Amino acid sequence: MSELSRHKRYAVRTGAAGLAALGLTLATACGTPPGEGSEEEGESAGLAEDPQFVWAVTGADRQVHEEVARLWNERNPDRQVDIFFLAPTADEQRQAMFQDLQSQAGEFDVLGLDVIWTGEFADYGYIESLEDLRSEVDGVSLDGAVDSAQWQQELYALPYSSNGAFLYYRTDLVDEPPATWEELYETGTEAAEEAGISGYVGQGDQYEGLVVNFLELYWSAGGELFDDAQSQSTFLEGDAATTALDFMTEAYDSGFYAEGFDSMVEDDARALFQAGEAVYMRNWPYAIPLLEGEGGEESAVADDFAVAPLPTFTGEGTTSALGGLNNAVSTLSENKDLAREFVLWAATDPEAQDILATNSLPPTMQSAYEDTEDPHLEVLGEILGDAHARPPVPGYNSMSLVMQENLHAAYLGQEDPAAALEAVDRSADEALEQE
Amino acid sequence: MAKTQSVSTRRGLGERAMGRIFLAPSFAFMAVIALFPVFYAIGMSLYSIRGFHQEFTGFDNYARVLTDAGFFNAVGNTLVFTVASVSLEFVVGMAFALIMHQAFVGRGLTRAVILVPWVIPTAVAAQVWRYMFDHNPGFVNSVLGTDVNWLRDPAWSMVGIISADVWKTAPFVALLLLAGLQTIPKDYYEAARVDGATVVQRFWFITLPLLRPAIVVALLFRTVDALRMFDFAYVFAGYSNSLATLSVYAQRFLVAEPELGYANALSTVTFVIVMIVGLAFISRMGRHMVGDVARKEK
Repeated sequence: MSELSRHKRYAVRTGAAGLAALGLTLATACGTPPGEGSEEEGESAGLAEDPQFVWAVTGADRQVHEEVARLWNERNPDRQVDIFFLAPTADEQRQAMFQDLQSQAGEFDVLGLDVIWTGEFADYGYIESLEDLRSEVDGVSLDGAVDSAQWQQELYALPYSSNGAFLYYRTDLVDEPPATWEELYETGTEAAEEAGISGYVGQGDQYEGLVVNFLELYWSAGGELFDDAQSQSTFLEGDAATTALDFMTEAYDSGFYAEGFDSMVEDDARALFQAGEAVYMRNWPYAIPLLEGEGGEESAVADDFAVAPLPTFTGEGTTSALGGLNNAVSTLSENKDLAREFVLWAATDPEAQDILATNSLPPTMQSAYEDTEDPHLEVLGEILGDAHARPPVPGYNSMSLVMQENLHAAYLGQEDPAAALEAVDRSADEALEQE
Repeated sequence: MAKTQSVSTRRGLGERAMGRIFLAPSFAFMAVIALFPVFYAIGMSLYSIRGFHQEFTGFDNYARVLTDAGFFNAVGNTLVFTVASVSLEFVVGMAFALIMHQAFVGRGLTRAVILVPWVIPTAVAAQVWRYMFDHNPGFVNSVLGTDVNWLRDPAWSMVGIISADVWKTAPFVALLLLAGLQTIPKDYYEAARVDGATVVQRFWFITLPLLRPAIVVALLFRTVDALRMFDFAYVFAGYSNSLATLSVYAQRFLVAEPELGYANALSTVTFVIVMIVGLAFISRMGRHMVGDVARKEK
């Protein structure tokens, strides 16, 4: 090979090696992988000229939270609040609040926490105890909502908004909503065959929604995840766990669950039901206006659906998992008294809670459900009265991830059911551990 | 050689020293941007961090990594994904590059079309692929006439993300290889043709050897990238063990189960794995270069 071409090759290689080294360094430099999608950090609502404290809350249902804050500002012109809107998805909200707290930035005074985060935030030392405010909300807020705001019998947050599940059913295909899960299965299978559609849609993907769907079956079979003192797991006591899992496995195998149930989230289910493709649907209240065809939504079932409480295995009562938000006070807040006052006000002021009700975001004050004229709200009041809080233990998220993995594989027949349930039991015990 | 060096010394700084001075700012920049976070992460990995409670625990987190079945599952997933996707991307990319290198009518358009997937952001591409694989509406199944649970069957979902990744990054490999192809002088092919070499022989004895630097760079980039893969696995299956790669698994302890110490230990181990693989590639290139320099100095 000539001297010239060797030189050229050398140059190519040097360049290539340099480039490669640079690429490698940049590629591996970040100790943490990139998050999903956008890096949107949220934004201030700019509600006050001279805000005294900041309320960090989900960007979902933004105008409702804004209206609540405006009402506070109107009444407290010297002590105004500003809202910092977080991303609408739960994981991103939690991450944003963790960043604010862990980095000691302390921008947020009031934290709008998902009902399952109480234990974790309390255990991490992120939020103040509000135990002395218990008497203000006992009997005023929904019992389930208060349950979700405490960890180890101590109150760390106050209820703000709630959520519960409806059983949506097709009035043109079934006469009466079922009282038991067996009845639901039988009537649903029959009606689905006649109409040539699917029996049931719900949340079967491997995510928090699956845990909620499973727990509703589990609780309605008489199960409880922990003993009263939240000191150990009682997941496997009785036969609630196997009853619930067997029901799901059979419903999946027999095709009662619609095709694609195993990757279905709330809006997938809603879309199928709205297109007239299913007899029953388990979903949150948000679907009602869409199914009714409000705002130009196309709906095949606008006049043919109704809502009822979810059935149980015994036919008695109903069980729904409780959703919603609790407000807590950050330990880094420089305005704790004001923050506490706001948290209490948002939980117990009838006018503030009424803003939620009129915007179809379920409020947590019991009085909001009494003598209401909205039939859906009335049913919801009945459901929320019996609703179960997912236990807000510190390791809830780890436990939930284990449940997602094992239960999903188990009802699809990819994992031995007994082994799956034992794994869940172990994770429930681990979720209680504190360091 | 010795003479030129003494001359330059007399003038002041030597060429080497000048070079170092010129390199210093960019090196400092790299150190701040790249090295600081790495060492910071390694430092954090020695702590157990739960919110405001943190405690120095030495190498406990690393001991936990080595006994964590979830971690080894992630290593397995990552290796399967990397080997399968990089080899397929190489074959497909090579084919694309050879096609694009030919002179034919519409060559410009073909090049543009082949590059389209590479231009689409991975997160967006992942969403689109997920939708196509989904049971509802079941696009892929109806095209292939199959009834496969693409998103939730552990084996098939791996096939799913590998094919999506090949679609996405084969054009990138093609681009790198095309650049390499264009540096090969035409004369060699002409000479080979005069000597009666067949197409296969020309490819095997001229194209491949001369393309070697470009191939190594392409494989290095793709391997390192595939080892860090996050988007497709996360969009397809979230934190599910069936697809969790090393990046997804580390992210799980950063966001879903926030234990910053353990997350950083996982990231550090991932970093070390990627670094070893990367250095293995670079040293292969490096040895030849050192050889060249050594011969020259004789």
